[in-house]
Amino acid sequence: MTDPTTELPLEGVRVFELGIAIASPFCGRLMAHFGADVIKVESQINPDVVRIMGSAWSRGRDDLVAVAPDTSPYVPEMNASKRSVGLELKTDAGRDVALRLIAECDVFLANFAARALTDLGLDYESVSAVNPNIIYVQLPAFGSDPEMPYYSFVAWGPNQAPLVGFDDFTGHASDPPAGIATVAPPDYMSALHAAIATLSGLEQRDLTGNGVHVDISQFETTLALLGPFVMDYDLTGTVHSRIGNQSLWGAPQGVYPCAGHERWIAISATDNQSWEALSSLMGTIDDQFDDPDLRMSRQEHLDTQIGAWTADFDADDLAYRLQTAGVAAHVVSTNEDLLHDTHTMSRDWYQVAPHARLGRDLFSGCAVKLSGTPGRWTDAGPSMGQHTREVLSSIVGMSDDEISELVAAKSAFEQLEPETLVSRPWDEWIHVLVPGTDDARDL
Amino acid sequence: MAGPYNGVRVIDTTGLAGAYATRLFAGLGAEVIRLESPEGSPLRALPPFAESIEPPENSLWWSYLGMGTRSVVVEPGDKDSLAQILSGADVVFEDRLPEDSPITSDLVPDSAITTRIVPFGLTGPKRSWKSSNLVAWAASGVLYATGFQDRPPVAPAGHVQLALHASAASALVGTLLALRSRRKSGSGQQVEISMQEAALTIAPETGVPVFLDDRVHRERSGNRRDLGRPFGLYPCSDGFVSIIVLMPRHWTAMAEWVAETTGNETIAEEVFQDLTVRMETQELIDTWVEEMTTGQTRLALFEEGQRRGIPITPVNTVNALVDDPHLKAANYWSTTQLADSSTVTVPGAPFRTDSDWWTMSPAPLLGQHTDLYLG
Repeated sequence: MTDPTTELPLEGVRVFELGIAIASPFCGRLMAHFGADVIKVESQINPDVVRIMGSAWSRGRDDLVAVAPDTSPYVPEMNASKRSVGLELKTDAGRDVALRLIAECDVFLANFAARALTDLGLDYESVSAVNPNIIYVQLPAFGSDPEMPYYSFVAWGPNQAPLVGFDDFTGHASDPPAGIATVAPPDYMSALHAAIATLSGLEQRDLTGNGVHVDISQFETTLALLGPFVMDYDLTGTVHSRIGNQSLWGAPQGVYPCAGHERWIAISATDNQSWEALSSLMGTIDDQFDDPDLRMSRQEHLDTQIGAWTADFDADDLAYRLQTAGVAAHVVSTNEDLLHDTHTMSRDWYQVAPHARLGRDLFSGCAVKLSGTPGRWTDAGPSMGQHTREVLSSIVGMSDDEISELVAAKSAFEQLEPETLVSRPWDEWIHVLVPGTDDARDL
Repeated sequence: MAGPYNGVRVIDTTGLAGAYATRLFAGLGAEVIRLESPEGSPLRALPPFAESIEPPENSLWWSYLGMGTRSVVVEPGDKDSLAQILSGADVVFEDRLPEDSPITSDLVPDSAITTRIVPFGLTGPKRSWKSSNLVAWAASGVLYATGFQDRPPVAPAGHVQLALHASAASALVGTLLALRSRRKSGSGQQVEISMQEAALTIAPETGVPVFLDDRVHRERSGNRRDLGRPFGLYPCSDGFVSIIVLMPRHWTAMAEWVAETTGNETIAEEVFQDLTVRMETQELIDTWVEEMTTGQTRLALFEEGQRRGIPITPVNTVNALVDDPHLKAANYWSTTQLADSSTVTVPGAPFRTDSDWWTMSPAPLLGQHTDLYLG
């Protein structure tokens, strides 16, 4: 647990965040975890998609319409430890208050489209006019230069991965591209780059006193991961494409069937030491495969033999045996396997924090672990508009009456139906996933 | 100005799990020294290789990820040189468990930050397990959910080593936070990254909190998803395009486009405005959309679809990206020099700033800076 006297690295840093879904919210969550006061500015007219999604169990419940936006499991995944302020930026009064709030912030973070920020009057020029030393970080899909060809183009999460070549790289060589439909790595890689850029901006400001404008074109950022393949194309004209689970630098590597329905194991034995360990466990394999070049050139044949060997094993048992012998391997985990993963559980990967609507909520922890200044989870994600009055009063210096007028004019909003409290259907089982939390049945 | 981390000395002993982090760090001004064995970093053994150059200078992974860094060779067992180079460190990047590393804690200054990127973290029953990009994805739930239903699961963009780069980028975030803390406290600390957790972090879609909420077992769904129609990849004359139609206005624009191009008036009928109807008739919708896409190129469909306000993108290949008109107009691509002084195209800075932060020198030769630091 955090020593309460330890100052977190971002204590004293205030962030104004205009985020949708992942790319800037996930960056804001990292900063909030490490001590920043991250203020998520939200709209009821154009809500963040995580607010629209709600939770599966609240869908279709007329009595939960007001609270559903607070109940998506993505709310804490993207917004834990932040405060939420409801401001309608398309109203003059809402925008004026936003600029007064920005004047008190250190960082402006947004993944709205570049044109949308300009239309709102929140482009870098407008924001730096009220706060010249602001660290302004924006993540438009195609950059913020209106002269560029794709400036006005739209790319949603599932469009980004194909755009940057990831989908073409995904699948077995003889199949059409399989794509990465289920997850959106480009969004998260952009978010991590945004965190790096923001911390660099704070560093620069501490050193020179000057703010900075950072323009993160998600297209360009994600492409920075393709270096060696761009170089090989330039040098030789080779266009690399999907090769299943094979490795470019050694064999075998693959996903092999185990006993049971849809049970698989992933194995990487691409160096000689791993191969010796694997082949001695297998016992019967042809010793011609001791030659690494032959393992590469005949890897389909090799994969068939490995797959025949793995097919009778329980996947978990085999992963344990392989790892004990020094071979990188893991069950191809389903979401149910993750639920029962004793390793992540022993590392407190899932966290529980208070939630204004749900009492408490469970969410994924932070992959960045600092020994001396571990982060904090003050809140499992704010309700929409939960902190409007608190923030406008204490930071902007508005009176209660002024805030009420703003709300009455629909330029701002507060948490709807604060008296309506719900709990997740599985709330009483949280103690099973997170040892040490109270068993709700005992409360 | 020079990069904001100008003056920070970083010692890097990692392979692929940390290289993207120290490359970025170097681009932002840090003095990154890669400690190599006499045989060279493991990155130097990774293909693709430049044919005109001899090992250990021919790996394009090294030529890319080593950019901006310096190379110092330390013989195994040479404790004095190790102590000498570590004495000036602000940050040490490692991808080994403490007991597997020759860098013992007494060699590292108290004020230094040690960043460890390890397969399953420094604690827990799988602490000593090995990993790879594929194994990290397997342990995250993403591998199971990627690919076609009747084919084995497949890693997302396996070539790119995304799980490792996500670990590296997370490690740099932690390191920069620890440097900020050090300015306040004067003390170093340890930054820990579990590659499994870095992969879990970028995939809550297949993770436990979402599963607890909707109880949906994420299965492989190929290159289309039943969230809407059209939704996913559609074939065209030179590959595939990605079309994501969820919003009513996107469908209206899509139906008009198909009707105008193929003369299919039925698709524009009002009944298909209803997403439920489109899902029930998805094979028909897909066929109609394909009638339009198959005869055209990725780029033509991209530009016309976007002009109509539809979220459509090409399924790009590396050659198409290098030729992409937007990236050319934006002067995105940069160059570097290989060991034989030839010039090659590389991706440019990952983000743009109005301050001049980003600088990149070519990757160093093996031991190029040994005398400078140990001479």
